[in-house]
Amino acid sequence: MGAKKTKSKQSSNGNRSRNGAFRSKLNTTDRRAYSIPDLRLEHPDLTVRQAIEKDKDGAEHVRYEVEGNLNAPVPPIRDSKYLDKKQCIEIYRYMLLNRKMEVALENLYKQGKVVGGVYFGLGQEACSCASAYALDQDDWFAPMIRNQGSPLVRGFRASDTMMQYMAKADSPTRGRDGTSHFGDIEKRNMVSPISMLGDLIPVLSGVALGARLQGRNLAVMTYIGDGGQSTGVTYEGINFAAVQNLGLVLFIESNLWAYSTPSEMQYRCKDLAERAIGYGIPGVIVDGTDACQVYDAARDAVERAHRGEGPTLIEAKMMRMKGHAIHDAAAYVPKPMLDFWKKRDPIARFENYLVKEKKWLIPKENAELIAEVERIIEEEREIAVTSPMPTPESAEGGVFCEDGCHEIKPKYGVPKVKRGTGSGPKQTEAAVHLR
Amino acid sequence: MQLTYLEAIRQGIWEEMDRDPSVFCLGEDIGIYGGAFKVTDGLIDRFGPERVIDTPIAESAIVGAAFGASLTGMRPVAEFQFMDFIGCAFNQISNMVAKTHYLWGAPAPLVLRGPSGGYVHGGPFHSQNPEMWFVHNPGLKVICPATPYDAKGLIKAAIRDNNPCIFFEHKYLYRRIKGEVPAEDYVVPIGKATIAREGRDISVITYAAMVHSALEAGEVLSQEGIDLEILDLRTVSPLDREAITQTVKKTNKVIILHEHSRTGGLAGEIAAIINEEAFDDLDGPIVRIAGLDSAIPFSPPQEEHYLPKVSDVVREARHLKGY
Ligand SMILES: Cc1ncc(C[n+]2csc(CCOP(=O)(O)OP(=O)(O)O)c2C)c(N)n1
Ligand SMILES: [Mg+2]
Repeated sequence: MGAKKTKSKQSSNGNRSRNGAFRSKLNTTDRRAYSIPDLRLEHPDLTVRQAIEKDKDGAEHVRYEVEGNLNAPVPPIRDSKYLDKKQCIEIYRYMLLNRKMEVALENLYKQGKVVGGVYFGLGQEACSCASAYALDQDDWFAPMIRNQGSPLVRGFRASDTMMQYMAKADSPTRGRDGTSHFGDIEKRNMVSPISMLGDLIPVLSGVALGARLQGRNLAVMTYIGDGGQSTGVTYEGINFAAVQNLGLVLFIESNLWAYSTPSEMQYRCKDLAERAIGYGIPGVIVDGTDACQVYDAARDAVERAHRGEGPTLIEAKMMRMKGHAIHDAAAYVPKPMLDFWKKRDPIARFENYLVKEKKWLIPKENAELIAEVERIIEEEREIAVTSPMPTPESAEGGVFCEDGCHEIKPKYGVPKVKRGTGSGPKQTEAAVHLR
Repeated sequence: MQLTYLEAIRQGIWEEMDRDPSVFCLGEDIGIYGGAFKVTDGLIDRFGPERVIDTPIAESAIVGAAFGASLTGMRPVAEFQFMDFIGCAFNQISNMVAKTHYLWGAPAPLVLRGPSGGYVHGGPFHSQNPEMWFVHNPGLKVICPATPYDAKGLIKAAIRDNNPCIFFEHKYLYRRIKGEVPAEDYVVPIGKATIAREGRDISVITYAAMVHSALEAGEVLSQEGIDLEILDLRTVSPLDREAITQTVKKTNKVIILHEHSRTGGLAGEIAAIINEEAFDDLDGPIVRIAGLDSAIPFSPPQEEHYLPKVSDVVREARHLKGY
């Protein structure tokens, strides 16, 4: 019954068996027995739906309503398989930086110093910081708008993001773009996001493809929301990574809302991680408010990528704890739902874990750490505020890479070249599609 | 060496893959099958499946992956089976690729190439000339060669360029025209037009397959003593303003000829350049010959009616001569 032996070599392009990622775990490949591991210690069963509400004058209004066990106890943090005390504290520190940077941004906005709006990742700091923390130095990533903590983990400064929001001359894009829209292909390996949701997914896959041609299996991490994943390019990007076996680590940030639309109106399956089955890649669910779970799933996926075993889809469940952006009071969110998730604040829970449960931080050290983070944010704020606005003329130039502004060469070494027997371009007169 | 337009493009890609290991190809059916038009025929045997990648039917993924790879210093060459399908990846090209150097300083050395153009009864979805979608996107170079020599020299230049280049191959020309192509390495500079025919009386500014229509019209008109000068733009973005200005200053009369529909077409932009640079040199109205403002119809009599013809150039030139 064994497969016929042939001389053909394995190649990255077309010789991979289907569901190779699962084969090692299964005795038989002809039964569908894929599972979606779920690291969570609780499974909130809240549902949002539209309902008609009458006001005191009898007028009808369509509102969102939440159902389910809203009094479920808050679960503990799951001990990490990998993280030690020092690493946990470091992630906790990044989460604090992330949150306090956003508090500073909110204040800058109120002082009229921000151009446009401010976006927050409140309630999602564990997901942003612990995921980026799982990457190795050479790996690549691209944050989305809720992941303002990820660039901090990768070595950007809080002032970089602040200057982006204030459209300052010293911002990473020199005023040309705002928010988290900046990147660095030299040191921090960060691709700049664009506003259009989903388009980063094939791009990150392409980064992994480029690196593989240069002999490196890299992990390439990016994020997409429960809303953004509805785009067609999301499918194209994940499928491309799956077919080409590229080390994409895709976090689906299921934060229950996409602007004002609940996830119930975005997709029909129970968990978005299930989509992994359709792509033929591993999928896993984590509690996005638990830094240890996020890290463990991310680290497993990063290591798979480094071993050349292809992409992983990680669904992180949590809740967007503010409106879409600062202008949005999120009045459409049922209050009991917000209260439920407030008790699951990722920073409060991690603090409790480190200080009370593990006793890895004594309260005094914790207070010092918080004070240090606040001092840093204040210094960063000062730098950002002092930076000048760009000159009007700086709008010009830089459209093209010209006059030697960049030297382009393979980042990880010259790709190995295989030469087949083809002797020279063929001179064909073959059947073609249209004449 | 006499090569067809198609062979010249293939040879250009082949030579660049040979000399630079960071060049690789991706696209639909480009490997063992060699592409819908066989442009990449033989590449997979020579360079291997790692560098000649058959992709899923996913244009946004193809462009996205090419862009991502270019960020690591690779030089991807992505094929669209027909340039009509480039619209499926429009967001990726317009909002990601084109803006990247201006916004955050990352160069994107990639080539997006494929067959475009009518005269082959391909119908509304296999005959379009969508170059204007990209001319209106600063950050992209848009190339439309007319001859085997230019096709090879320009595909090589595009692959070596540090910017995203969109390379339109006219499918009517693929096997219809042959031309002399030197064996030694050469490139044709991007952004430079060339005089396809020297003349005194009227300038025809055009590119791609229309260069050949203009040349035919030039033969007819020379019998009547009308001497056409034909400027082949070769690159439609950035435009060679200097060459446009020069030919207008020489002949003082201009016809602008292109296949794509008239409204919002390249002729309008060129007319504006002439207005800015050579208004006082004009001895007659700027004449536009272009496709109709509709989709390209399928049936041969309809397609012929839609697209510019040699007789259109002859008629308009006779009329313009009278000024
Ligand atoms: C393709 C596309 N369509 C629409 C938008 C406008 N938009 C920006 S964010 C957003 C909601 C996104 O929700 P989700 O993906 O769940 O992310 P979250 O904001 O919840 O983190 C919308 C509709 C966009 N950026 N891109
Ligand atoms: Mg969401």
